[in-house]
Amino acid sequence: MTGERNQRRKFMNNLMFVLALGATIMALIPLGSILLYVASKGLIALNWDFFTQLPKPVGEPGGGLANAIAGTLILVGLASLMGIPLGILTGIYLSEFSRGRLAWLVRFICDVMTGIPSIIVGIVVYGTLVLAMKRFSAIAGGVALAIIMLPLVTRTTEEMLKLVPHSLREASLALGASRWRTTYSIVLRSAMGGIITGSLLAVARIAGETAPLLFTALNSRYWHTGLDQRIASLPVYIYTYATTPYDELHRLAWGAALVLVAMVMVASLAARLAGRKAGGGR
Amino acid sequence: MPWKKSKGIMVLAMVLALLVLATACGKSDEAGKGPAGGSDGKAQTVYLNGAGASFPYPLYSKWISEYNKVAPHVNIDYQSIGSGGGIKGIIEETVDFAGSDAPMKDEQMARARGEIIHIPTVIGAVVITYNLEGVNTGLKLTPEVIGNIFLGKIKKWNDPAITAINPGVELPDKEIAVVHRSDGSGTTNIFTDYLSSTSPEWKEKVGTGTAVEWPVGIGAKGNEGVAGTVKQTPGGIGYVELAYAVQNQLPYAFIKNLAGKFVEPTLDTTTAAAAGAVASMPEDMRVSIVNAPGENAYPIAGFTYLLLYKEQMDRNKGTELAKFLWWAVHDGEAFAKDLLYAPLPENVRQRVEARIKEINYQGEPLFK
Repeated sequence: MTGERNQRRKFMNNLMFVLALGATIMALIPLGSILLYVASKGLIALNWDFFTQLPKPVGEPGGGLANAIAGTLILVGLASLMGIPLGILTGIYLSEFSRGRLAWLVRFICDVMTGIPSIIVGIVVYGTLVLAMKRFSAIAGGVALAIIMLPLVTRTTEEMLKLVPHSLREASLALGASRWRTTYSIVLRSAMGGIITGSLLAVARIAGETAPLLFTALNSRYWHTGLDQRIASLPVYIYTYATTPYDELHRLAWGAALVLVAMVMVASLAARLAGRKAGGGR
Repeated sequence: MPWKKSKGIMVLAMVLALLVLATACGKSDEAGKGPAGGSDGKAQTVYLNGAGASFPYPLYSKWISEYNKVAPHVNIDYQSIGSGGGIKGIIEETVDFAGSDAPMKDEQMARARGEIIHIPTVIGAVVITYNLEGVNTGLKLTPEVIGNIFLGKIKKWNDPAITAINPGVELPDKEIAVVHRSDGSGTTNIFTDYLSSTSPEWKEKVGTGTAVEWPVGIGAKGNEGVAGTVKQTPGGIGYVELAYAVQNQLPYAFIKNLAGKFVEPTLDTTTAAAAGAVASMPEDMRVSIVNAPGENAYPIAGFTYLLLYKEQMDRNKGTELAKFLWWAVHDGEAFAKDLLYAPLPENVRQRVEARIKEINYQGEPLFK
């Protein structure tokens, strides 16, 4: 009797293991094939020119997307400078200082904002900033991306701070530290790894956004000339080049896609590393 | 330990700040190295920002790059966002000039701050492509047949209406699968304009526009979508712009024009269409040139325009813009054919010159 039951349990165990393994492999197939496909199409486009030259018109050899690479870094940098500090402060407020209706409302709005399609953020910034300035600009692009980042950073910060044990806060307060001292020196520092991870994931999320940039930063064939001017970016170049009839522009678009994927992967890896370090240190 | 972690965020912030600063400074270096820093000395850089139609984007990129060699102090930028986006941009004044494959409608003109000048730059042709085993480029089609195919009234490739005009071509007993654009497009505008002008039934039931209610067929996005779907569907038929068909070696049909000749779509026959239509062209150049008269005129063609305000708000910008447009329709046209765009015929160019001379700043003409 028991032997038979044991056997059945073992069988079920193995069956479930195989099923889980199969599902994991299935999930990895699309991811792996995207990476392989982009790499196989994009690698041939990458050369020294790609990283150092401005775009050239069809029919002229050479030419790269150096301005778009720089532009994407500037846009992501701008968005991070606005979105990360604001997001972290909001997260601190939600976790440490808030109670009642207002917190509920902020949290609710954050959750809704995470679900808003990014193109809508683009239209809103177009309707406000771009129309007011009468031109597309890097700053408008940065604001649009920052708005997309904000709820992501806010919510991860809040979650990370909530993981810090209450006994730590109590100990600090018992030793006579003030509320902000406790938050800054004890709570925030204990959760720093997680917050950095969350922020970097938000950076990775916005690096590839096309839709909000189409309405705000647009694109440019020149180097960055000022925050109040339009600016080039990799996603918008991919979009523009992929829809032309020319093979050489398609190749550049694939190259741009590969560079963009690489940038997102580096950001995600950095996030992992930051998270692991913090995990070990706690 | 805590020290390390707070450093983490400081480092992160500093890296970001440095990034922005570094790239912001980097550009001034490059600007110095660029063509602007050359012999022209201290001429102040003028920025002209445009956006709009995607069809002429490759040509405009070429023009801008070539014009930069002639006038290094002028930085022109043109982005491909679609004709609709271009028209919206010029009305809302978020661009200095716009590109559009369709002329602006009266109600759109009414929303703009002042009169808008339409400058035709090149001519686009729409070709009919198909997927029939053994039939290459050169299938003959008449306006009636095209209308009835896209209305869904001719359903088979071996319909007598088609075989009668294609003696010697073996047409299969296959269903015709119509493919059209699913996105709004200037190409669709030209094609439906053509159908409306040749088929009263089409005009009444469907009409002209960048996107219409198609009686039959399946939608696909972009030229590449239509071409791809036709390629995968035996018996498929669709329409794409000429440059796209030539680049991708798609088979295309010869179409019977007003003069009764079956005309192959080429750059010359497209230019001939504009030349044939010039007699009936209104002063403001907002005109359809489908079904143009002329022995060699290819019937499915349309202008693509650059749009700008007649009265410029900034004297400097307006002057440079007028100069660029003048250069574009003269020297610029020489680059058109290589990139598979049909240049303006001489008689249209003369009309355009008159329009460019109307561009003014507080009443003072800017092009001299």
